[in-house]
Parts: sequence; structure tokens; C-alpha cells
Amino acid sequence: MSRAIQVRVSESVVRTVHVEDGVQSPLEILPVLAPDRMAELLAKELEAQGFKRDGKLATRKDPDGVEITVDLEAATVSVKLGSDSDLETRAAEETRGQAEHRLRDAAIDELEQRLAAKTEALRREVTQKLEKKVADLRTELDQAIGRATVEALTERAQQLGKIEEIAKDEAGNVTIKVKL
Amino acid sequence: MSDDDDDEYVEPATVAASESEIISMARALTAPQALDVWGLLAGSRSMPGNIGPTCAELVGDALDQVWPALWRRDAGRPGAAIRAGKAVRGRGWERNPITPLEYSKFTIALLRWLVEMPLATPGAVDKLKVVPHTIGDQIVSYLALDVAAETPAQLTIARSSQIARAPLAWLGFAHVLPGEPPDSFDSLVTGPGAVAVEALQRDLAHKWRTVELTKRAVTDPDVLIAIGAAQDATLTRFMDACTNAGRRDLAGFVIDAMLPLLGREVAPFPNDLDRTKPLSSRMAARNAAGALLRALACWVEWDRSHRGVRFLDDDYEASQLLLSRFEKALHHGADVLSAAWLAELASLSPTTPSPASATIDGEPP
Repeated sequence: MSRAIQVRVSESVVRTVHVEDGVQSPLEILPVLAPDRMAELLAKELEAQGFKRDGKLATRKDPDGVEITVDLEAATVSVKLGSDSDLETRAAEETRGQAEHRLRDAAIDELEQRLAAKTEALRREVTQKLEKKVADLRTELDQAIGRATVEALTERAQQLGKIEEIAKDEAGNVTIKVKL
Repeated sequence: MSDDDDDEYVEPATVAASESEIISMARALTAPQALDVWGLLAGSRSMPGNIGPTCAELVGDALDQVWPALWRRDAGRPGAAIRAGKAVRGRGWERNPITPLEYSKFTIALLRWLVEMPLATPGAVDKLKVVPHTIGDQIVSYLALDVAAETPAQLTIARSSQIARAPLAWLGFAHVLPGEPPDSFDSLVTGPGAVAVEALQRDLAHKWRTVELTKRAVTDPDVLIAIGAAQDATLTRFMDACTNAGRRDLAGFVIDAMLPLLGREVAPFPNDLDRTKPLSSRMAARNAAGALLRALACWVEWDRSHRGVRFLDDDYEASQLLLSRFEKALHHGADVLSAAWLAELASLSPTTPSPASATIDGEPP
């Protein structure tokens, strides 16, 4: 007489995963003054925006976790966002006909697939947050560069002669009158 | 000799059926419209170890048509080229003395392989191990990829043969070839290689522009990154070789490819990239999309240096020729648009929408 044996295997895993997404982009800075001086002026503007200067780098970490690094020498900006998460998942397999080790392998494969799917979902979440952030950041950096450029133009004008008048309009255009 | 002797019936050359297909394939390279190319590529046939002398002779006759076929691709246009710093004008065959092309065993091996393998079913194709050595081999490689254009066989030929060792194949088909282009493109800027590139200017411009337009619709960032890397490496290495050999005119196809796009302000912005992919991949893909634009930006730099060449300098005549070559591109705003589009491609947060029209008709002027 034979008896049917039901084999049930259950596996669970807890894994800490780190997902990250980031971009790097050049900054368009007009070469009004020497590169070193332009970098100084931009650094000053960035410091006013909450960046911390460390040599040729200006960095800021926002409350939402986004890290922004401006390389003043290379004139590039890097933006990245990372996220750590403990992912937990369980899988159970049951059969009457397979050996236990095969069943366990199937359960582990299932676990890996579920973890990969959860990690991908987490990564997409990070990407979405980052995507929203970079649009605002572009505007912020463009404005900082604009102010640094006006500073540079003013300095350059002072080198050329005596500034008689600086006029700014609502569109952001700046007119500097210089007496040579 | 009597008149009767002249009218004597000449027995047509007889070859085996397999040899006949090799000859047809050789003829198809220069006159694809006259033959059922797809039938030859998709079918398969077991081949004997060697080909007979009659077949070899007929393949030779077919390959003798390569130069006329190349010049036909240029539509026999009058043009100008640089030789030792001077401008030479005329149609292609007037500018260049006829140079017989040399072929190595690669050419016959490739023709046999094209006939032997069922190229429509990549899984059933053995790899071709013989590598191209001569300019003749390179031209045959280019033509083989070209006759298979718009068929699944093109990808099989690109990936299963050693065609990727031929710089000329990269110049025309960087978007389908696997791996990295060869380090040196010197073989294409001197001797018969340079003559072939001169003849293919119009063809190359058309090919690069077509790829440029199809790139805009790519959705997978990884695909665009791979295409861009291949195109960047190909154009950079080729244009460096042109500069070193004093043959910047050979890179004129870059201008011709871009002219209609500049004229209609069709920027290479990929607007349909898969938004579920990481931002880093999409950014890299956008940068990769600017490969041809970077080559145009290189022309902008060249143009500035050509303006600095004075009347008494050795390269004055060549510089004047290159200035006139680039004039139309400047008129279309090549300097401003290339810089602006490249900046937009590299921007943190792209804002510029691309024009809806992505169809450009007509050949370069």
C-alpha cells in the first residue's frame, strides 16, 4: 500500500536594497571673466541658495533626499537621489510529486523574482521624484547663473571704465552704462 | 578570317548551379534592382569546397562593375576634392584615375557565405571567420550590407560575419554593427579608399539622415545609447583621420546629411523614451542622440580654423574649398543650432519640443 505525501516548502527573505538614480549636465556659463572668477561668482550665488562650498565643489542635500553637486571647475551639475529599503517577501510551494530540493529551488526563484519586482518599483518611485525635482532645479540654477553673469558683467564694466548706471527690467535684462 | 568565322556560335559559359548563385550575388552588389536579392539572401544552398575558373572569371567581371556602381550612387555630379592641399574639380571619374581594386579571399568567402546561409533565420547561420583586408573587401562589405537593407538579413550579416572589421562598413552602417569600430580609418582617407568615400558622399549623407530621423522614434534608451556610441566613435575616428590626411572634404557627407534637418529645424530630440526607465539612462540616451550633431559641431570648429588660413598659406586653396562647402550649413544656422540643440540634449530638464514632422524628402544639394 502506498501513501501520497504532500510536500510543502516555505521560504522567506528580508533584504536591504539600495536604489539610486541620477543625472549629470553641463552648466552654460558665459565666459565674461576668467573661469576661476566666474566659478567664484557662481559659488557665491550658490552659497546664498544653501549650497556648501568644499574646494571646487558646491553641494546641497535637500529635505527630500536629493543631493546636488556643482563642480565649479568643470561647470557641471550632478543630481542624484537614493533610497534604502528593507524588502520582505515570502513564498510557499506545495506539491505531491516533486522532491523537496526542487521545490525549495522553485520557491527561491519565486522570491528572487518578487524581490526584483519590488526593487524595480522602488527605483521607479525614486526616478519619478527625481524627475519632478530636476525641472525646478534647472530654473533655480539658471537664475543663479544669471545673477552670477550680471555680477561678472558689472565687474567687467568696472574694468572698462566708470559705471554710470545699472538698469534692470522685469524681463531680467540688465543695461550697464559705462563712461570710458 | 571570313565573315562566317565572326558569326560562329559561342557556347555560353557553363557553371554549377551553386556557382551561378555566387555570380548572381556578386552582380546583385552592383545592380541589386536587376536581381531577386531577397531570394538569394533568404535561401540556403550547400556549397562545394572550391569554385571553378569560369565562375571566378565571371565573379571578377561582376566586381569590375564596382567603380561605375559607386559613381552612379553619386549621380555623376560634378564636384571638388582636395589633393595635396589643392582643389581638384570635375566628376568623380575625372578627378580620380581609374585604380583597379584588389580583393582578398574574404570577398569570395563572403559571397559564398551570403549564398550558403539562410540569412533570414539568424539562429541557423554559421559565423564567417575570414576577415576583410583590402579596400575592395571593404567596398564589398558595404555593398553587402546595403543590398540587405530593410530586411532581417542585414542584421544577420552585420553580426555573423567579420564585416565589422571594415571601416567603410562602419561609415555607412554604424547603427547595426556590433562592438566597437576599428581604431584606424586611415585606409579610407588615402588611395582608393578615399576615392570610394568620395563616390559614396551622397549615399552616406542619405544613410546618416535616415538613421537620424528613425532615432527620434526610439523608445528604449539602451538602444539609443548603443547607436549613439557606435556613431560617435565612427565619426570621431573618421574625422580625425580626415584631418590627419588633409582630406576634410571626405567628411562633407555630415553637412549634406544635416542640411535638410537644419533647414526645417528638425532637432534629434528623442521624445518617446520609455519613462519607466531610469532618468540616468534617458539622459545618456538623449546625449547619444546627438552623435551626428557633434560631428556638425566639429565642422563648425573646422570652419573657424579654415577662416584663419591666409592667402599665402599652403592650405589656402583647400581651406577656401572647405569654406564654400560649409557655407550653406552656416546659412542654415549650423553654428547656432548645433550648439543650442546639443545644450538642450544635455540639459537637466529638457523643455524644447521637437517639430512633429519627421519626414525629410529630397537629396542634399
